[in-house]
Amino acid sequence: MSELKHLKSQWEAVMSCMGCGDCGYAIRPAVDRYLTCPVKEAKGGEGFEIYFSRGRMNVLKSLLLGQIPLSKELADFVYQCSECGNCTEVCHMSQNEYIVLNTSKWIDHVKVWEALRQDLIEAGFAPLDKHGKLIDYMNDVSMRNPYGEEEANKFAWISEFPEIKEEGDLILFGGCTMPLRQVDTLKSMMKIFKAAGREIAMSKNEWCCGSIALRIGDQNSLIDIIKHNVEIFKEMGAQTIFTACAGCYRTWKKDYPELLGEELPFKVKHITEILTEMLNNNEIPFKPVEGSETVTWHDPCHLGRHMNLYEIPRDAILKIPGLKFKEMKRNRNNSWCCGAGGGVKSEFPDLALDISTERIKEAIDTGAQILTTSCPFCIGNFSDAYKEMEPKDQEKINIIDIIDLIAGKI
Amino acid sequence: MSEVYQKLEKIVEGKHISKDLYVRHAYSRNVDLVLQGVPDIVIRPKDAQEVSEIMKIANEENIPVTPRGGGDCEFGGSKPIGNGGIVLDTKRMNKVINLDQDNLIVTVEAGISWGKLNDFLCNFGLYTGCMGPGSGMTAAVGGGISHHSVGGGGCAKYGACTNQLVSLEVVLPTGDIINTGSQANKYSKYPFNRFGNGPDLAGLFCGDNGIFGVKTQVSLQVFPKPPYAAYKTFQLPRKEREVSAKIMTEIRQKGIEVYDLMFLMDLIVRLGCQEGMFPFWENLKKKRGVIFYTIEANSEVELDEKVKQLDEIMVNNKTEELGQEIQDGNIAKWHYAEQGHWQFYHNLWGIYPSMQPLTAECFSPIGLYPNVLNDIDQWDMEHNEDMQKIFNITKIRPIAGSGPVLLIDGNNVEITCGFTSFWNYYNGEVHDIIEETNLMLWKSLLERVTKHGCQWYMMGDYMSRLMVDIGAYSEEYYNLMKSIKQVLDPKMILSRGKFNFWGEK
Repeated sequence: MSELKHLKSQWEAVMSCMGCGDCGYAIRPAVDRYLTCPVKEAKGGEGFEIYFSRGRMNVLKSLLLGQIPLSKELADFVYQCSECGNCTEVCHMSQNEYIVLNTSKWIDHVKVWEALRQDLIEAGFAPLDKHGKLIDYMNDVSMRNPYGEEEANKFAWISEFPEIKEEGDLILFGGCTMPLRQVDTLKSMMKIFKAAGREIAMSKNEWCCGSIALRIGDQNSLIDIIKHNVEIFKEMGAQTIFTACAGCYRTWKKDYPELLGEELPFKVKHITEILTEMLNNNEIPFKPVEGSETVTWHDPCHLGRHMNLYEIPRDAILKIPGLKFKEMKRNRNNSWCCGAGGGVKSEFPDLALDISTERIKEAIDTGAQILTTSCPFCIGNFSDAYKEMEPKDQEKINIIDIIDLIAGKI
Repeated sequence: MSEVYQKLEKIVEGKHISKDLYVRHAYSRNVDLVLQGVPDIVIRPKDAQEVSEIMKIANEENIPVTPRGGGDCEFGGSKPIGNGGIVLDTKRMNKVINLDQDNLIVTVEAGISWGKLNDFLCNFGLYTGCMGPGSGMTAAVGGGISHHSVGGGGCAKYGACTNQLVSLEVVLPTGDIINTGSQANKYSKYPFNRFGNGPDLAGLFCGDNGIFGVKTQVSLQVFPKPPYAAYKTFQLPRKEREVSAKIMTEIRQKGIEVYDLMFLMDLIVRLGCQEGMFPFWENLKKKRGVIFYTIEANSEVELDEKVKQLDEIMVNNKTEELGQEIQDGNIAKWHYAEQGHWQFYHNLWGIYPSMQPLTAECFSPIGLYPNVLNDIDQWDMEHNEDMQKIFNITKIRPIAGSGPVLLIDGNNVEITCGFTSFWNYYNGEVHDIIEETNLMLWKSLLERVTKHGCQWYMMGDYMSRLMVDIGAYSEEYYNLMKSIKQVLDPKMILSRGKFNFWGEK
């Protein structure tokens, strides 16, 4: 029997779950709650209780009581979770300025799932096949990204932009997904900065932020990665680093200081914060507006529930000329996940697509012509689901990163 | 078991059945911390026909079946008693079948949640009246009918959810499918009335705690939701239990229609404030109990008149109104306008890590509950030594007392009483002494309350057997129940173990 070292550190959370099941079934229209677990819903008739939080917590109780062992079979269930954190929101649903549930001080479901994943890894039952490859690639000195591409490929796009400095106050952390899979969005970002007269710097020596390993539960090489990344930005004289990836943002801003046990020597911002500053200062020279389109915003879990960054992207959208804004039925802390997170996209791609399809349909229901967000994983997963949708549904909506949305209006 | 599994697999598609160890453990508990039963198989049928076929195989093979809706029973009612058997998860049966808007009757599959049903009905300006149990936004309609559930809202006006029942489709333990009420006449096209066509056989399945049949379809009366509502909260004077009971009695005697009315005892206010749970009550000079009401009306005039009448009763009983807004302490407004949650007041669930309620839900006449609550205090003092055994490990004493006292139909209230204790797993170690003490104290307290004459409705695993163990049923009544069970379920397949029929396990 494994020592369950990490899970034991979460015993207060596990044993405080009373099993009410709201994390699976709650529908509370007065607080905009229309179900909770994207995985359970996507499973449909197969949606046994192990696919949502209450059932998992029951399994964890049995694990801690020594009734059942860790296993590869358990890992197959555990990794079918996007770690979106919606279960934590519903668990503390009563919480507001008037009622404070003490459980909110010790129940953080994502932390529980990550602790379990760490124990599964240490016991040798994880990572699962594809996750293992991602981590190997990430740690490979010739790659340093989870996509298995040569390290140089990540920085190839920079050659088009000689204005990117090697040192400076405002430094871009490029991450892996955008430069390797959505490079046009980075180019759009440079178009905005250029038009606004902003200077940025970037390093060609940054490594993957390590988010994928953290979410999968393999922290073996993380401290080396963190120290390397922090050091290079320190040397560049960074006052602020920013990223256009929600996953990198969460990792830099929340996980790095926690794992290092100290504050970072610079500020960390998400691109939407930078864009909102620029929009508020009228720095972006937009083209004259013709007509208007309706846009809706998808809250990436790593921006919203994990980092509480809800209003800034909305502020940005409201400042873009020629757009009307319409919320989806489930928004902000009730937002439905895109399905890509927690390693689901790589190991269980069909599940990720099913979840994503539901979210796109929700966006279509608003009547918006544009679904925008600011996370390359969400964009990638939405785009894959979109390709499989009926042409009549595709005609109703376009999916676009907020960076591309703004750049298209300059 | 593998042969049985293969037979069951033929009934539902393979993906709707599981014998996986982890799936089975996921279904091994309800909303309680000490009762566990791990099934051999979990199955998710899609309709009455599949349920019927499952029951027939369970009979052939003599395997117990436990139905499970939302899994919100506080007494282990929707997991097996002991290990083994089949858990029949009804949550796949979650569709609205028909809304008869002319006659205000909705027909649903029994696995639908009260939340989903009311979300559907609100599109038509309707609601279910009684909104099911306190856990109603998650709990299943079938489970509500199986327990005479109250607590989700509206039960002072509409009573238990079974009051709204029109007709049931039930799969009997032998696999036969029957329809009750107007639908007992096979020529009746739509459900319209519960009574007639002979005795009220629907009543047999109301509050049966899942022993007589598996509910698969439910027809309920629904109601237009009145457009006006008011919410008020009052702090009670000294002798809060007696005063709150007097207020409830006067409201009933004057025939004032309230939607909901709830009394929270000083224990909840005091401990909740002490632990920072109720910022809006922090400034209360005296942390006494509160009473709050919700009323509905079809016009402002009607609403004003009801408020006037209720306020008169409140003033005459020396209560103090806490203000209109939530930040003024008006928990009634929070509870209804923002859809408050049942958990926080369940003897202050979760106030400390790993602390959960070992409670019970019962009905009592209004006049009786002050005595019951006072006696729980007495019981607490008498059991201090046992409580101390848990304190020695956790450094926090379990809490005895009652959660909300809720006015229901007639001159009755619902009491959530018991004590709140800790898991046997505490801070990295398993403490058998906590489990033993929990079970002993829980039983002792429930026995004490039973002897006041209270009427249990959510009986599940623990309470149904306790009633038999302590001889609370008259011999004749228990024999009648047993005889009915024997006729309907000769092999004791369904919810085996509940009520200790024939002492089978």
